[in-house]
Amino acid sequence: MKGRVFLLLIVVFVCFSCRNSSNKTGRFVFPEADSVPTSEAEKLSPEVIADISRNISSPVEIANLLQMLEVPFSQNYIAASIDANKQGTNFDKALKLGILGADLGYLNMYEKTGSSLDVLSSIRKIAEDIKVGQFFDFESIKRLSQNKSNLDSLLFISIDSYTQIDNYLRGNDRGQLSALMIIGVWIEGQYLATQVVSQFPDKMLSDRIGEQKIILNDLLLLVSPYCNRDTEFTELCKNLQEIKNIYRDVRITYTQGDPVSMEKDGGLVINQTETSVVEMSEEQLEGIIEITKNIRNRLILNN
Amino acid sequence: MFYKHNRAYELREAKQMKKHILTLSFLLTIGFLSFGQSTDPFVSNCAMNAGANAKYLKDFRIQLGKTAVQSDLRYKANMSLWKNTKYRFTLCNTEDSKGQLILNIKDDANKVILSSFDQKTGKTYPFVDFICQKSGIYHLSYDFTNGQQGSGVGVVSMVK
Repeated sequence: MKGRVFLLLIVVFVCFSCRNSSNKTGRFVFPEADSVPTSEAEKLSPEVIADISRNISSPVEIANLLQMLEVPFSQNYIAASIDANKQGTNFDKALKLGILGADLGYLNMYEKTGSSLDVLSSIRKIAEDIKVGQFFDFESIKRLSQNKSNLDSLLFISIDSYTQIDNYLRGNDRGQLSALMIIGVWIEGQYLATQVVSQFPDKMLSDRIGEQKIILNDLLLLVSPYCNRDTEFTELCKNLQEIKNIYRDVRITYTQGDPVSMEKDGGLVINQTETSVVEMSEEQLEGIIEITKNIRNRLILNN
Repeated sequence: MFYKHNRAYELREAKQMKKHILTLSFLLTIGFLSFGQSTDPFVSNCAMNAGANAKYLKDFRIQLGKTAVQSDLRYKANMSLWKNTKYRFTLCNTEDSKGQLILNIKDDANKVILSSFDQKTGKTYPFVDFICQKSGIYHLSYDFTNGQQGSGVGVVSMVK
């Protein structure tokens, strides 16, 4: 009888633990250190956070711009020193997940499949460590990377995996990890753009770097509920504030115009005639390149 | 004797129970793993059919009921769009939707930049290409024609 009761308890335990693993029917129970007090999480509505995460320039867009400018691929821009086994805290893990995600986007766009497998393995390890590995479709991404035949599917599955992770974290009171992942993606994209522009000066690319001023406030807003959470967050907030300060005198002006539309191939084509113009000095750009490099290189150090 | 018989019965029951638990755990694990990794085929089809040169960036999954009064498009989201980039906004709706998925985009000054729906003719476009010359945060609004019920996805891609 005792044995049956014990077995029944196991069944109940198995059922409940699996039910809690689903992202639709319930919630994971995480260690206290990983959860955020409701008051903190409530400071930004889920819609606002979702909007902010969409406002971050995708690393795929930056890589696309680099390809458009015929910038050659360089392995030196990748955060190869990140050791997935040496990430001590969830702060480190979530931030690295974002950084590696941006690197994966860059590698995918340049179809550098050999290197992307190493990055993929690190992503899988870190994603599993913070209990979001189920959303990262490692096998499909690996298969598509090796095939080299379907870049569209590869991009879709990679980005979709990250979107699912982000949604899951936000939906399960782990918004601070979602914020870190988003900041990781942004900082690595910014590092990529600034490193390239220092080697291959180009107006279009330096404009894109200057235009990041548009979303800096959003980034700070995203992380602000957690700035007093612990020393790691306090330091990160300080770093982002330093970047914002460097951008203070960068100006973005606009010229007016009405969009021009025409029908083509069954769809509509809209050509915007309004433009944005970035006013940024060489010194300002140098400052942005320098601070981005310093902060990013500090963030990718293993513990 | 009775104890022995009872004990054997309990052991057999326990063995069976153990087997059931293992099977159940296996099925739940498989179910959980495949569920976690699932990508909606409707969304991926829409993304994959955006065009040969289109590279997927984001998607918006929209499900709306019928509305009696429609003053504005109901599903709203913000997204940053960057200068010197050609974006493609593809609109797909499920077969059981009563209306066609439509989109309009306004800039941060609330000026309408594009609409996939021509109010004069009633024509809807399945995709809109937008050649962006002004970086900024744009306001995207989706709905179904005439405030009808429907579900669909709006895919945003980059076109070379």
